[in-house]
Amino acid sequence: MVGEGESSGSVEATQADDSQALVLQDLSVGYNQPLISNINKKIMPGESIAILGPSGIGKTTLLRTIAGLIRPLSGTISHDYPDRSGIGYIPQRLGLVRHSTVRSNISIGARSRCSKWYPALFPLPSELKNDVDSAMESLNIMDLADEPVRILSGGQQRRVAIARTLIQKPRIILADEFLGELDKDNVKSIIEATRKVVDDIGATLIMVEHHEERAIEMADRIWRIKGNQLIEEGDLNQ
Amino acid sequence: MAWLSLDDLVEDWSQVESAPEKLEVFFTEDLWPPDWSVLEAEEWADGSLHKPNGDICNEDVELFCSKAWTGMLITIKMAFVSTLIGFMFAVPLASLAAGNLTPLPIAIPARIILAGLRSLPSIIWALLFAIALGFGPLPGILAMTLYTIGYLGKLQYEAMEGISNAPLESAMAMGLTHSERLVHVVIPESSNHLLSQLLFMFEYNVRHGTVLGLVGAGGIGMYIDNYINPPFAYDRAFALLIVVFVVVVIIDLISMFIRSFVTEEGDVKRPKWWTVLLPAGTAADYYHKFSKGKKSDTSIGESE
Repeated sequence: MVGEGESSGSVEATQADDSQALVLQDLSVGYNQPLISNINKKIMPGESIAILGPSGIGKTTLLRTIAGLIRPLSGTISHDYPDRSGIGYIPQRLGLVRHSTVRSNISIGARSRCSKWYPALFPLPSELKNDVDSAMESLNIMDLADEPVRILSGGQQRRVAIARTLIQKPRIILADEFLGELDKDNVKSIIEATRKVVDDIGATLIMVEHHEERAIEMADRIWRIKGNQLIEEGDLNQ
Repeated sequence: MAWLSLDDLVEDWSQVESAPEKLEVFFTEDLWPPDWSVLEAEEWADGSLHKPNGDICNEDVELFCSKAWTGMLITIKMAFVSTLIGFMFAVPLASLAAGNLTPLPIAIPARIILAGLRSLPSIIWALLFAIALGFGPLPGILAMTLYTIGYLGKLQYEAMEGISNAPLESAMAMGLTHSERLVHVVIPESSNHLLSQLLFMFEYNVRHGTVLGLVGAGGIGMYIDNYINPPFAYDRAFALLIVVFVVVVIIDLISMFIRSFVTEEGDVKRPKWWTVLLPAGTAADYYHKFSKGKKSDTSIGESE
């Protein structure tokens, strides 16, 4: 939860085990023009951060840059996450393979835990298959295992996306408005499931959110984008 | 503009005036009625029935010894083998040519290879292979395989480029390799298009196998070639063309049936196999009637 006056995010303010931190230094993100400039943040393992701001201001671009999908315009992103399975990314549209079954979708996440030399056509090793079943059980989607994702409801699809990320055992989860426009009950259960996952695997969560109350419910820290600057909510309160 | 170009290309418009009359004569005197003896075994002077290759016909149904059946069977086998082998080469090549999967320095050479393979029509490939290997089905199969790789590869990399970026980005962020993204994300995500193109290519190769027969590549085309050369038997050639048409329609129906499992409409419960020919809504109505008012469960999402 966000504590009043907290400002633990700045590079200068941290003292914990820096080697496991995600450090954004002098970072500018955007496509041709910088959308957000001069970001200096340090995120420690297990922290939950929500990014707030109006549409089109660069929240998704920042998330995609941290995910390694686009290059930063300037500055550096340093972390010691493994190349495979280190980052779990849930895009706005969830990024599920619509024509594959729930089990196959979750297996994609499990595959990232195999060596990159493990042949793509080979089935998953049996211990990972068991993990896929456990992930489905923990998110209450076991009975949908063999259904194609395209026929599931929005809430069920979100559970599949979370299970796919859970099984990866990532060090950081980047979630882009993944709660969408779900109804209150669904939001509550998905938030609970996500929090459980994040706590279980001790991952860092950085999420883009549109709804402030959801952000406050899920995050330890809030970053707000104003103009082309990223401002820590704690700084604003001071 | 188009009219001016056409006028520029056609030197003598008077040839168009006599065309309907010539066509009518050709149709009534040479083509019609089709000679359906192509659906029967050959009867030799001693009264025995034989297959086109001279073997004695031991089948209970005479059709199985006819030129139409044996020729069509060879053409279908040729098309099946070349479509399947072509597909196995086309998918990896297409994945290298797809801009959303591979960087341009790899994608461009892959596209050039695919363009090279399809820029020669399969009939020219068949001629080249017939010169090298002699007449028979093998040059036809090789020709259709190469053309399939070029043609199918192009259709497939465009289908792959058309998939949603979100699943690919998730897979990239988690560090999956090119082959893992291809097998577990791109192929399932574009399965409807890939399957549709594969089945279209099979149908195309069946039709084209007919043409390749004209250059000695075997199959039903070889018999058609025999009938459109002296001594002319256009009515028999016409009957064989009708057989090809019927087979193409059947392949189209099979294609609809197979694809119905991977489209959104695949989620609609269909009580009979032939209801794949109906639009989803009509099939769903039929399902309601068929199951006597039993509650539909067309979508788990909707039932929530």
